[in-house]
Amino acid sequence: MKPHLYRTVLGVALCFLACEKAAPKGDSPPASHRIVVMAPAAAEILDALGATSQLVGVGDFVQWPPEAAGLPKVGAYHAPNVELVVSLGVDLLLTTSMQAGGPTHAKLRELGVQVVTLETNTYEGVLSSLRKVGALLGKDEMAARVETRIRSQLEETRKRVINAPRRRVLFVVGREPLYAAGPGSHVDEMIRTVGGENVVAEGVSGYQLLSMEIALESRPDVIVDTSDNRPGAIRGRALGFWGQFPFLPAVKSGRVYYVEPVRLVIPGMRLPEMTALLGKIVQPEIFGEADPSEFLPFDLSGGNGGR
Amino acid sequence: MAAERAPLSAGRLALWTAVLLAVLACALVLGAALGAGDVSLSDFFGPDSSRRTILLEVRLPRVLLAAVLGSALCVAGISFQALLRNPLADPYVLGVSGGASIGGVVALLLGFGIGEGIFDRIAVPAFAFGGALGALVLIEWIATVGGRLTVYTLLLTGAIFNAFSAALLYFIQSLASLEQLHAIVFYLMGQVPVFGYRVLGGLALASFLAALALFSMARDFNALSLGEEGALQLGVDVERIKRRTFLLGSLLTGLSVSVAGLVGFVGLVVPHLLRLLLGPDHRLLLPAGFFGGAAFLVLADLFARTITAPNELPVGVVTALVGGPFFLYLLRSRGGRRGNF
Repeated sequence: MKPHLYRTVLGVALCFLACEKAAPKGDSPPASHRIVVMAPAAAEILDALGATSQLVGVGDFVQWPPEAAGLPKVGAYHAPNVELVVSLGVDLLLTTSMQAGGPTHAKLRELGVQVVTLETNTYEGVLSSLRKVGALLGKDEMAARVETRIRSQLEETRKRVINAPRRRVLFVVGREPLYAAGPGSHVDEMIRTVGGENVVAEGVSGYQLLSMEIALESRPDVIVDTSDNRPGAIRGRALGFWGQFPFLPAVKSGRVYYVEPVRLVIPGMRLPEMTALLGKIVQPEIFGEADPSEFLPFDLSGGNGGR
Repeated sequence: MAAERAPLSAGRLALWTAVLLAVLACALVLGAALGAGDVSLSDFFGPDSSRRTILLEVRLPRVLLAAVLGSALCVAGISFQALLRNPLADPYVLGVSGGASIGGVVALLLGFGIGEGIFDRIAVPAFAFGGALGALVLIEWIATVGGRLTVYTLLLTGAIFNAFSAALLYFIQSLASLEQLHAIVFYLMGQVPVFGYRVLGGLALASFLAALALFSMARDFNALSLGEEGALQLGVDVERIKRRTFLLGSLLTGLSVSVAGLVGFVGLVVPHLLRLLLGPDHRLLLPAGFFGGAAFLVLADLFARTITAPNELPVGVVTALVGGPFFLYLLRSRGGRRGNF
C-alpha cells in the first residue's frame, strides 16, 4: 500500500503542478506529464511527437514503441484499471473513441486525471488527434511539422494514381463468418487513395458481416485477406481459401494477398506507411511489388520494429 | 378441436406430412432462388459457370444445412417438452448447448476456425460437439438419483449448468483479444455456415437417424403426458424412455449448436405452433416438426441473408426477433383461452 499511497500523493501533487503550469497558456516551456496510453494509435502519436519519455503506463494491447514494453500494463482499451492508473500518478490518459470506457473515464476525471479521447479511424481523425495531443503537450509546432509531412506523403500517392486503372478491391477482415472493410473505415479511405474501388460500397459501415454471395458477385480484381492473425499463418501472394472460386478476376490473375492484420488494419500514425503498402498491393505497376517481409508481423525484437 | 381426441388415422398423418413437406419444398425453392445478390435458380442452366458456382457451392449448401439444423432443433424441442412435460422446454434447457458453446469458444480461443486446412474448418464444431457430449455425460450423471433419472433434477441441473456455462463464456470473453471477441460473438449469435456436401450429408444422416429413433417413441411420449405413473400403468418403460430421449435430444441439440451456434426459438415456437394446428399427438407432431422446423429455419436464414443485403444478420437474431413476439401472440390469442400452454 505504502508506495502506492506515496505515488498517489505525488501524482495528485504533479497534477496540481501541471494544471498550474498550464494556466498561463503562453509560450512557457511545455509541462511534463505522466501519461498512460490505452490504444496503440495514441502511443504512435506520442512517439511521433518525441514524448514517449512521459509515458508511465500502457494499455494491454500497446506493444509499440519499444519503450512501452517495460511499462506497467493498466488494462484493456475499454477498461483502464482506475486504481492502477491513479497509483501511477497519471495526469493524462489518452485513448481512442470507445464507448465502453464511459463510466471508468468519468471516474478517472473525478479523480483528476485528464482523459482525452482521440479519433484515429480516418486520415483527418489521425491528423486532428495529432494536433490535439501536440497542443496538450505544448508541442504544437512539432505536430504541425509531422502533419505537413504526412499530408504531402498522401498527396504524392494520390497524384501518382490519377491515371491508373481503378481496381476493384475486396478487403477481408474475417472469414468465418465473412466480414469486410466498408465505407467509414480507414481501409476504405486507403483503398481510394491508392486508386482502388472498394467492392463493399454501400450499406456496410466499418466492419460488418458481408454476404459471401455479394462478395463473389462483385468480382474483385484484388483480394486482401487479413482474417488470419495467428503466428505462422499463410502470408504474401497466394490463392489459399479464395482459390476455390477460380472465376474471380483476383484469383485468375493471382492477385490475392494474405497480410498480417497489424500491417494494414490498425489505424494510427502509420496510415501513410499502411497506404504505401496497400498501394504496392493494388497498383504494383506504379509503386512496385511489395517485399515479402512487408506482409509479415513486425519484428519487435529488432529494436526499431514497427517502422 | 375434436380431432385431438380422435385416434390418429393414417389418412390424417399422410395429409399433414404431405402439407408440411410441401411447405418445406417451397421454403427450399425460395431459399435457393433468393439471395443477397442477383444469382437465381435459372443460373443453374445459364451459361455463366461462376453464377452456377455461387448457386451450388455457396447458397445451396447453406439452405440445406439450415433445413437439417431446423429439423434437428424442432424435433429436439418437441421431445424435451414431452420428456419434461413442460411447455417452456426448448432444446437448450437441459444444458447441453452450454457445453457445446464452451467447446466451440475454447476452439476459437485456441485459434482454430480461420485457417486453410480441413482441420481448421472442422475444429470448432468438433470441439463444440465434444463439449456437448461432456456436458451430456455430466448432466446425466448428476441428475441420476438412485438409478433413476428424475425430471426435476434434470431440469434443475440443466438450468444451473447453463448459468454456469454463461458465466464461463463471459470469463473467456473478458480474457479474449478484440479480434477473438469478434469471432466469439458472431459464433454465439448463431450463424448457418457453408459446408461442403460431404459434411452436410453426414450431418443430415446423423440427425435423421436420431429423429427416427425419437419418432419410434412417439406413443410413449403420448403416454408420458399422463404423468410418469400413468405411463407406467400403460406399460411404458419410463426410465428407458426418459434416458433415451435425453440422449437423443441432446445429440441433436449438440450437433446443431456445434455447427451453427445458439439459434433460438426454433425448438420452442415451431412445436407450439404445430401443437395448436395439429393437436398434441406426438405420432403426428414429431414428423410434422421434422419438416416444419426445417422450413422455418430455411426461411429465417433467407431473411438473415437478404433483409439487410449486402450485410448479413446472424440467423439467431432473426429467429429470436420473429419468434419471440410471435410466441407471445400465440400465448395471448389462443393458448391462453384454451389452456393449452
